Amino acid sequence: MQREGWRRHQISIGIGVFAIVIFLLGWLEMAQPMGFEFSDITGGIVTFDTLIRVGLLTTVVVGLNMLMGHAGQISLGQAGFYAIGAYVSAIMTTKAANRGINVLFPGAIGEDWWWPWLMILAGMVITGGIAYLIGRPVLRLKGHYLAMGTLGVGLIIFVLFREGGTFTGAADGVGSVPRLSIGSFEFWPRDRYYFLVWAVALAVMWLSLNIVNSRVGRGLRAIEGSELAAQTMGVDIEKFKLQVFVLSTVYASIAGSLYAHYQTLVNPTPFGFVGSLDLVIMAALGGLASIWGAPFGVAIVYVIKEVLRARLSTLLRGAGGEHEIIIFGVLLVLIMIFMPQGLSYAAGRAFAWLRNPSRREREEPLDRLPEKAT
Amino acid sequence: MQNIVRTRSARIGATVAAMVLLVAVVLYLGHAKGFGAIQYVQLVLDGIRGGSIYALIALGFVVVFNVTGIINFAQGGFVMSGAMLAVAFNNLDLPLPPALQLALAVVFGVAGTTVIGALVERLTIFPARHSHTLTLIIITVGVYIFMQGMALLVWGANAYNLPAFSSLALEDQILRSGGIMLKAQSLWIWGTLAVVLVGLYFFFERTILGKALRACAINRRAAELMGINPSRMSLLSFAMAAALGAIGGVVLSPATRPIYDMGLKLGLKGFIAAIMGGMVSSPGAVVGGILLGVLENVAAGVTRAGFKDIFAFVVLILILLFRPQGIIGGGERGVEQ
Amino acid sequence: MKKTAFTALTMIALLALLVGGCGTPVPTAAPTTPPPPEATTPPEATTPPEPVIGTTYKLGFFSSITGPTSSLGVPERNTAEMIAAQLEEAGGVTGPDGVIHPIEVIIYDDESNPEIAATVASRLIEEDEVDAIVGGSGSGPSLAVVPLMQEAEIPYVSMASSRSIIRNPETAETYKWCFKTPQENFHSGGWQAAYVEGMGWDQVCDIYSNDGYGQDCLAQTTAAMTEKGIEVSYSDSFEPADTEFPQIASVVASGCDALVIGAVPPGAALVTVAAREGAPDLPVVLGHGVCNATMISAAGEAAEGTVFPCGKMMYADGLPDDDPQKELLLKYREDYMAFTGEGPEGLSTFGGHAYDGLLWVVEAMGSLEEGLDVTARRAAIRDYIETNITDWPGTGGVFNVTPEDHLGLTYEALGFVKVENGTWVYFPPEEW
Repeated sequence: MQREGWRRHQISIGIGVFAIVIFLLGWLEMAQPMGFEFSDITGGIVTFDTLIRVGLLTTVVVGLNMLMGHAGQISLGQAGFYAIGAYVSAIMTTKAANRGINVLFPGAIGEDWWWPWLMILAGMVITGGIAYLIGRPVLRLKGHYLAMGTLGVGLIIFVLFREGGTFTGAADGVGSVPRLSIGSFEFWPRDRYYFLVWAVALAVMWLSLNIVNSRVGRGLRAIEGSELAAQTMGVDIEKFKLQVFVLSTVYASIAGSLYAHYQTLVNPTPFGFVGSLDLVIMAALGGLASIWGAPFGVAIVYVIKEVLRARLSTLLRGAGGEHEIIIFGVLLVLIMIFMPQGLSYAAGRAFAWLRNPSRREREEPLDRLPEKAT
Repeated sequence: MQNIVRTRSARIGATVAAMVLLVAVVLYLGHAKGFGAIQYVQLVLDGIRGGSIYALIALGFVVVFNVTGIINFAQGGFVMSGAMLAVAFNNLDLPLPPALQLALAVVFGVAGTTVIGALVERLTIFPARHSHTLTLIIITVGVYIFMQGMALLVWGANAYNLPAFSSLALEDQILRSGGIMLKAQSLWIWGTLAVVLVGLYFFFERTILGKALRACAINRRAAELMGINPSRMSLLSFAMAAALGAIGGVVLSPATRPIYDMGLKLGLKGFIAAIMGGMVSSPGAVVGGILLGVLENVAAGVTRAGFKDIFAFVVLILILLFRPQGIIGGGERGVEQ
Repeated sequence: MKKTAFTALTMIALLALLVGGCGTPVPTAAPTTPPPPEATTPPEATTPPEPVIGTTYKLGFFSSITGPTSSLGVPERNTAEMIAAQLEEAGGVTGPDGVIHPIEVIIYDDESNPEIAATVASRLIEEDEVDAIVGGSGSGPSLAVVPLMQEAEIPYVSMASSRSIIRNPETAETYKWCFKTPQENFHSGGWQAAYVEGMGWDQVCDIYSNDGYGQDCLAQTTAAMTEKGIEVSYSDSFEPADTEFPQIASVVASGCDALVIGAVPPGAALVTVAAREGAPDLPVVLGHGVCNATMISAAGEAAEGTVFPCGKMMYADGLPDDDPQKELLLKYREDYMAFTGEGPEGLSTFGGHAYDGLLWVVEAMGSLEEGLDVTARRAAIRDYIETNITDWPGTGGVFNVTPEDHLGLTYEALGFVKVENGTWVYFPPEEW
C-alpha cells in the first residue's frame, strides 16, 4: 500500500503545481503588472475569455475521459447533459424565479445570492437522476451501439430544449442570466469568474484522479482491459459503469451551469451533435486514458482555432472560417495518426526522451485501449 | 444471455404492442389535424423517398464497418462531394446536349468521389491502421471536417441546384393521382437503389473480389491467412462507401439544393439507418433507412417537424434494447454476453 | 520511441510556425510586442495642404461567413471589405480639426454560432481594442453579444432583425450601446397582414425556420394577423437541411387561404418549392429575409408569383427619382458589383444592412477630435449615432435614430414586391 500512498502524493503535487500555474495566469490578468496581461504572453492570440472556456470544458472532458478512457464507454451525447445544467440554471434564475417559484418560497427568491448556487445543485441532481435512469439500459449496449444510444439520448435532450416553446425560449434561448455571487462578493469581472471556473475544474480533476487511483479505479481499469475478466474477479461492472456515467454527467452539468452564468445567454446551438463530437475530439486529443490530458485536449482545440482566427485573416486577406475548418481538420487527422494516444501521452514521451535520449524504451503497443468490440 | 426481455414470445409481444401503440398515437394525432388517407399516403411516399437516400448512405457505413470495424464519419462528406462535383460539372459551359452533360456530371460526381474515398483511405486510415478503432473514427471525423472546409473554399456557402433527371430542369415532372403527388425524381431514386442492390448482390456473390471482401468481413485473420490482403480490402471498402454515398448525394440533388454542409445531417441519418439495420447487414441497412425515413416523415407530419428526430431516436433506442442485432440480422451482437 | 518524440517535435514546430507565422515573429513565451504607438501629437499645422495623420481608428466587424446564415453573412462581409478598401483609398476620415485618421476594419467570422460570436466579440473588445463594432448576421449571434457590448460600453450596430437586440424584452428598456439597421419582422409582418387582408383571406398557415429569425417571424406575423382578425390556423418549423417537407401535408389538411413562410434562402426556397408541388394553387407570402438572388435561383419557377415585403435595394432602378434613397442605393449597387465582380445576382439587402451600419460608424468617427482615448471615442461614437442619425437615407430606409428607438425605421422602409419572370417587380397596395 506504500505505492498507493506515493501515487496519492503524486496526484496532490501534480494538482498543486497545476493550480499554481492557473493562479499565476489569473493573477497576471488581475494585477496586470506594468500593464502586462495574460494575452500578451501569447502575443495577443489567446484571450482570457478562451482560458475561461477551456476551464469550463475541461470539467466536462475530465468526465468523458473517465468514462471513455477508464471505463471504456463511448458517449456521443455528453453535450446533452451539459445542456441540462445550463438550462436548469438559466431558467431557474430568470423566468422561473420571476414566476412560479415565488409562490412556493415567498420572498425575494431569485434575487438572493444563494438561489443560483442552489440551482447549480438542482441541475446536478436532475442531470444525475436522468443519467441514472437512462444509464441502466443504455450502458448494457456495447461499442458503437453504446455510441449510438448516447448520441440518441443527447439529441433527444437537445431537441426537447429547442422545441420547449416559451419555457426554454426555443431557438432564442434564455437570456439575462445573473452573475454568481456570495453575499455581496460578485464573481465578476471576468478574472474573478476565472478563479471560480478553474477551482471547479481542478477540484473535478483531483477527485477523478483519486477515483482512478483507488480500488474503484482499479476496477475500472479492469473493465477497460476485459469486462469478462473483471467480472470473474468479482468486480461489479454494471455498478461501476453506471457510477462513472452518472459522475461524468454531473461534471457536465456543473460546467453547464457555470457556462450559463458566464455567457448569460443559453441557446440550443452549442449543445447539438457537433457539440458532443467536439467534446469527444477534445478528449481524444488530450489522451483518452489520462485525466491530465483533459485540459490539454480542450486547450489545443481552442488554441488551434484561436491561432487560425487571429492569424489567418492577416495572412490571407478575406479568409473566413473555411481555412480554419480545413486546417483544423488536417491537424486533427495528423495528431490522431502520429499521436494516437493523445497529446498528454506524446508530451510525456517527448519529456522522457529529452531527459534521457540514449535510453532505449521498451516498444509499447501503440494503443492500450481495448480492441474493437466483437 | 442478459437481455431485457428474456423470452422470444415476450419479445415479439412487446414489439407488436409497441407498434400498435405507435400506430394508435399516429392516428390519434393525425385525426386531430384533420388528416385523411391521402395525407398519410403522401407522408409515407415522401418518407420512402427520403429513406431510400438514407439507405444508400447506410450501405456505405455497412461496407466500411464490415471490413475495418470503423464507423466512417466521413461518409456524409462523400455524399456532399458527390452532389457538389456533379453540380460543378453540370454548370460547366460545355458544347454538349443537356441530357448528356447531366449524365456525364453524374458519372463525374460518383467517379470523382470514389477516387476521393480511396485517397482518404490511403492517406489517413492506412498510416494509422494499427491504432485503436476509436482513434480511426476520430480520424474520419477530421476527414469530414476537412472535406467540408474544402467544399466551402471551392464552392462557397451558396446553395446550388442540379436539374431533375427527367425534365432536365429545376422543376421536376410531377405525377398526380387523386390528390397524391409523386416527383419523377422519386422514381429515379428508387430505381437507383434497386440497381445498386442488385449490383451489390452480384458483386458479393459472383465475383472473387466481392467474396474476398466478405471473407474479410467475417474473419479478418482467417482471410489474411488465405492470402487476402486486408489493406487492399480496406481500400476497396472505402472506395465503395464513397461511391455509394456519392450515388445517394447525386440522385438526391435535384430534390434538394446541394450545399457544402449537407453531409453532416445526411451522414448522421445514414449512420442511424445502418445501426437500425444491425450495422453489418446490407438488407438491414436498406430496411433501416426506409423505416427511418417513413417514421421521421409521418412523425413530423402528425406532430411538429421539430420533434421528428425524437421519434426516430426513441424507436432507435427501443430497437437497440430489444433487438440489438438490428431489425434484420442473425447473431446477438450489441448487448454484452 | 524516437519516432514519436520526433513527431511531437514536428507538431510543436508546426504550431509554433502558425503562432508566429505572420511576418512579425512573435515568440510564444516572451512579451515582445510593444504597445502600438498612441496618438502621435499633431505637429504645428504650418502648411495646410500637408495632411496630418492622426490615430488609426479601429472598426470591428463580424458576420456569419460560414454556417446556415452564410447567405446573409457573405454579402455583409464583402460590403465590409469594400468599405475597408474605399477607406484605404481615401486614406481614412478627416476629423473636424482637419486631422486625417486611417480606419482599420477588422473582420471575423462568427460561423452562425452565438458562442463563437461571443468569443470574437471579446477578442474585438479586448485584444483589438476597437472603437466600435458592427456585426451579427443572425439574431442568435447578435443577442449573444449584446450583454458583452453593454458591459464593455462599446457602440454596437447589429445587422439582424430581432427587436430584442436593441430593447430588453422583459423590461422594454432600450439598450444604451446597441443599435441595428435592418427593418424588422414587425414591419414585415404588418405588410404581410395588410396584403392578406387586402386579398380578402381570413386564414393563413405559417412555416418558419427553426432559429431565432424564423421564430421572430412567426411571432410578429401572428401578432399582425391577429390584429386584423386573420387566423393563423397552422404553424410549424423546419430545418434548413431538411430534404422532405411533411409540413405541406398539414397545410393542405388545414385548408388555409395562403401560406406565409418566415425563413431565409436556401431554406425558404426549398419550402416554396415543396409548397408549389404539394399545393400548387396555394398563394405564398414570404418575409423580407428572402430579398436576394439566391431565393430566385434556388426556387426557380416556384418563386414566380410569390409576394413579399422587401427593402428597396432590389428594385432601386424602378423607384421614382425623388426617392431619398434612390441615389444611395444605385451607388451601393454599382460599387458592390464593381468590388466583387459579381453581377446583379450577387446583390442583397443584407449587404445593405452592413453598409448602413458601417457608414453610421464611419460618419461618427469623422466627428471625433484628435486626442481622445479609446473610452472617450467609444462614448462619442455612441452619442453621435444616437443624436445625429436623423433623416438619414440608407439602403434600408430613412433612419431617425432616437434615444428610445435605436433603429429608427418605419413601415415605409419596406416596399411590397412580386416575383415575375425571375425578377422583383414593385407591387404597391393599389395593384393588389
